[in-house]
Amino acid sequence: MASPQPLNGATPKPKPITPSEISAEFSHHDPTIARINNGSFGCCPSTIIAAQQNHQLYFLEQPDNFYFNILKPSILKTRQIIKTLINADHVEEISIVDNATTAAAIVLQHTTWSFFSTLFQPGDAAIMLHYAYGAVKKSVQAYITRAGGHVIEVHLPFPLKSNSEIIVEFRKALQMGKANGRKIRLAVIDHITSMPSVIIPVKELVQMCRDEGVGRIFIDAAHAIGNVNIDVKDIGADFYTSNLHKWFFCPPSAAFLYCKMSDELSDLHHPVVSHEYGNGLAMESAWIGTRDYSPQLVVPEAMEFVSRFEGGIEGIMRRNHKKVVEMADMLAEAWGTELGTPPDMCSSMAMVGMPACLGIKSDADALKLRTHLRVCFGVEVPIYYRAPVEGEIDPITGYARISHQVYNTVEDYYRFREAVNKLVKDGVNCTLLPLCEGYAQLLQMLLKSSLPVLCISYCSAVDV
Amino acid sequence: MDPPAETEDPRAAANGENNHVSKKPKLSFITEPEIRQEFAHHKPGIARINNGSFGSCPASIIAAQKRWQLRFLQQPDDFFFNHLQRKILHSRTIVKDLINADHVDEVSIVDNATTAAAIVLQHVGWAFADGRFQKGDAVVMLHCAFQAVKKSIEAYVTRAGGSVIVVHLPFPVNSNEEIIAEFRKGLARGKANGKKVRLAIIDHITSMPCVVIPARELVKICREEGVERVFVDAAHAIGSIPVDVKEIGADFYVSNLHKWFFCPPSVAFLYCRKSPLSPDLHHPVVSHEYGNGLAIESAWIGTRDYSSQLVVPDVLEFINRFEGGLEGIRKRNHDAVVEMGEMLAKAWGTNLGSPPEMCPSMVMIGLPSRMGVLSDDDALKLRTHLRDHFGLEVPIHFQMPRDGEIRAADGDGCITGYARISHQVYNTLDDYVRLRDAINQLLSDGVACKMLQRE
Repeated sequence: MASPQPLNGATPKPKPITPSEISAEFSHHDPTIARINNGSFGCCPSTIIAAQQNHQLYFLEQPDNFYFNILKPSILKTRQIIKTLINADHVEEISIVDNATTAAAIVLQHTTWSFFSTLFQPGDAAIMLHYAYGAVKKSVQAYITRAGGHVIEVHLPFPLKSNSEIIVEFRKALQMGKANGRKIRLAVIDHITSMPSVIIPVKELVQMCRDEGVGRIFIDAAHAIGNVNIDVKDIGADFYTSNLHKWFFCPPSAAFLYCKMSDELSDLHHPVVSHEYGNGLAMESAWIGTRDYSPQLVVPEAMEFVSRFEGGIEGIMRRNHKKVVEMADMLAEAWGTELGTPPDMCSSMAMVGMPACLGIKSDADALKLRTHLRVCFGVEVPIYYRAPVEGEIDPITGYARISHQVYNTVEDYYRFREAVNKLVKDGVNCTLLPLCEGYAQLLQMLLKSSLPVLCISYCSAVDV
Repeated sequence: MDPPAETEDPRAAANGENNHVSKKPKLSFITEPEIRQEFAHHKPGIARINNGSFGSCPASIIAAQKRWQLRFLQQPDDFFFNHLQRKILHSRTIVKDLINADHVDEVSIVDNATTAAAIVLQHVGWAFADGRFQKGDAVVMLHCAFQAVKKSIEAYVTRAGGSVIVVHLPFPVNSNEEIIAEFRKGLARGKANGKKVRLAIIDHITSMPCVVIPARELVKICREEGVERVFVDAAHAIGSIPVDVKEIGADFYVSNLHKWFFCPPSVAFLYCRKSPLSPDLHHPVVSHEYGNGLAIESAWIGTRDYSSQLVVPDVLEFINRFEGGLEGIRKRNHDAVVEMGEMLAKAWGTNLGSPPEMCPSMVMIGLPSRMGVLSDDDALKLRTHLRDHFGLEVPIHFQMPRDGEIRAADGDGCITGYARISHQVYNTLDDYVRLRDAINQLLSDGVACKMLQRE
C-alpha cells in the first residue's frame, strides 16, 4: 500500500553528509596524525560531543531532577534503540554498561557464584579463544580459575584462509575439552577478535557449542556494532556484548550487554551494587551510584548522525569495509607482503603483513614499532606480533591492524606506506628501536622542533 | 591577630610589580560575584539546599575536565600510553597528602563510594567462598547505612553465607557518648554466641539521618571487641570534615570527591591501609592490569572517560582561592548551615537532629509534626512537592520512633520528619528563607503529607 503523498508535494530527501561536513565533525582529531586505529578507542563526532555536553550540563544544573525524572527514561530509550538494532525480543534483555570489560565481569561473576554454590564442580571448564582480549583472559582468571574452574584455550591459526580453519580448531578443542566427561559450562567467543583482528563465524560456533552441550555462550563482540551486521537471535548466544564507542560514534564510554531471556536472567548482577539490586540487570546497570551517565544517553543522536550518511549505518559499514580492504591490498602490494585473512573475514579493520626485514620478533618489538611510527611519522596504528611456525621460510611476523572509519582519507594510508618504505630503506630493525617511553617523548619533542628528516636519521643511527 | 587577607591589586602582579624571585604575588580571594559565576550553571530559581546528594562542580573545573576529555578525543592512543597513568598518580598523590596516608599505594581512585563498597565486600564474598571465613561469620553495619551499602552486604555477604549484625544508633542524638554507648551495646549483643566478626562498616557521616559519627572511637571499640577489619564509609567526609586516616585507624576508608570537594561526577578515593596482613583487594571490573595492585587496577577498567579523576589538581587550586582554603570553606559552611538550621527550628518550633558539633555542612532540621511525615513514602512525596511547587531541592527523612520512645516533639505531636539542609559556597540566605516560608505556607493551607499526590 503506497504511503499518501503530502498535499504540498513530495518532501525532498535530505542530502547525504558531505566530505567537508565529515571533516568538520572530526576536526578535533589531531590533524598531524594519520589515525588508522579506530579499533582501539573509537571516535566521536562533534555533534554527538555537543549532545553529550548538553546531557552533562542538564545533570549539573539540577541533579536531583535529572536523577528522579530524566535519567531512567533516557536510558530506556537507548535500550529500546539497541533492541531494535540487534533484533532482540525484549527490552529487558538489554542492559547498558560502561564497556565490554564490564560486561565480561558481569557474566563471569555469575559463573563464579555457580562454582560457590556447587552448581558447578571444581574442574568444570570454560572455553575461550587464545586470541581473546587481554582483559577477558584476566577476567576468566579472576572469576573462573580462581573459583576452581578449568580453562580451555582454543588456538587458531593466523594468517587464515577461511572460516573452516576456525571451525575445525574449535571443534577439536571442544571435544578434547569434554574428554573424561568434563562439563563445559561456558564458552567465551569473540565476534571480531582484537589482535589479530578476524571475523569469527560465531553462528556456526554457537551451534557447535549447543550440539556439544556447552552450558552458556558469551559472545565478546566489542568491535561489532557499527562494523558488522548483528542479529542476536540468529547468532543464538546467551550473552552478547558490544561497545558503542568504538564503531557507533558514541563518546567514551558505553556498551550494551544482551542477555537472552531465561530463568537465570534474574540471577545476573552488576558487580557494583546499588539500591537497585534485585530489580534486574538492566535496572541495576542504570544506577551504580552517582556518575556521569551521559555517554549512555546519546544513542538517539548517534542514530541521527548515521542516518545522515548514504545507506545509514549499513552504508557506512559497507564503505568502511571496502575501503579498508582496498587500502590493505595497496599496502601489501607496496611492501611485498599479504593480508592476514581473506577480505570476507575482514571487518572495517584488516591485518596487513609488515616487511620481514623490520625484524619484529616479540610483543615488545611490536610495541616499539608502534611507538616509533607514532612519534617519528605521526602514524597511529597497532602492530601485532605473530610468532613464526616451525619450518617457515622468511615468515611475516608482524601485522599492522589498519582501520577505516568515515574520517579517514587515502593520505592516511599513503603516509603509513611511505613510513614503512622509509624504515625498510634505512635498514631499520626493531632491535634498534628505543624501548623507553621517556626516549619516545624526547623524540616527540625533537620532531616538533626539528625537521622530520633529521629525527628519522637520528632514530636509524641509534645503536642500542 | 594578623591583619585581614591581602587585597593587593591583581593587576600589579600582572605588571610584574610584585614579582619577587622567591615570592609568588598573592591575589585577593575569590569574590562573591566570582562564586556566583562559578555556579551560574545551577538552575536559576531553584533553592538548591541538597549539596549532600549529588555535590556540585564549579565552572572552572568543568572547563578543566572538558580539556581532558578533548585531549583524549584528539589522540586517544597517545593519551592512553603517555598521560593517563601519570595524571591519575598525580591525583592519588594529592589525595594521599590531604588525608594523611603513608603511601600513595594505599590510595586508589574509583568512581564512587558504591564502587568502593563493592571492592571491599566482594573480597569478603571470596573469603566465604574459599573457606577463609566460615558460614555464619558476621559483618556489622549501622541501621542507617546507605542503601547501596546494605544491598552490597546482601549481595556479597548474606549470599555467601555470612550473617549481618545491625547496630541501631539513636536519632535525634544529643552527644557522641550516646552513639558510643549504643554502638558498644549493639556490637556486644551481636557477638553473643561467639560469632566471629570479620568486618565492621561504619559511616563517618551517616547519610539519612545525617550525623557526624565519632568514627575514631568506634574503630577503637571494634578493635577492642576483636573485629577483624573496619571499613569506614565516609562518602560525605572530604571537604566537609577533617579527614586523617591514620588517626581514624580504619583498614579501609572511602570518600566521594564529587560531593563536597568540587570534582565533577564522579570520583572517589578508597584508602586501604598497608599492613603485612593486608587483604588482596581487586576491582570487580577486571582488565589487563589485574594483579598489579588495586590502585593500578582501578586506574584502567577498560576504555572510559577518566577525566573526572584528573582534575584534582585544578580543584586544589580552586579551593585555595577561598580564604582559609578547604578548612575555611568547611568552617564557613558548617557555621552557616547551623545558623540556618537554628533559624528554621525557631521559625517552626522544632529541633535540630543533633547538636552543632555533630553536624558537618549539613543539618537535620525537624519538620513540624503537623506536616505528618509518617512514612518513607510521605517523605518522598513532600520532597517532590517542594521541588515541583516551590522550586526547593531538599531531601526529607522519615524517622521511625523506636521502641515507642518519643525523642522529639513540638506542641502538636511527635516530630517524625526531618529536612536535611546543606550549605555549600554557592548558597545564600534566601535559599533557606524560601524553605521556611514554603513549610509555613503548607501548614497554613492545612496541607499534610497524606494529602499530597503521588507524582
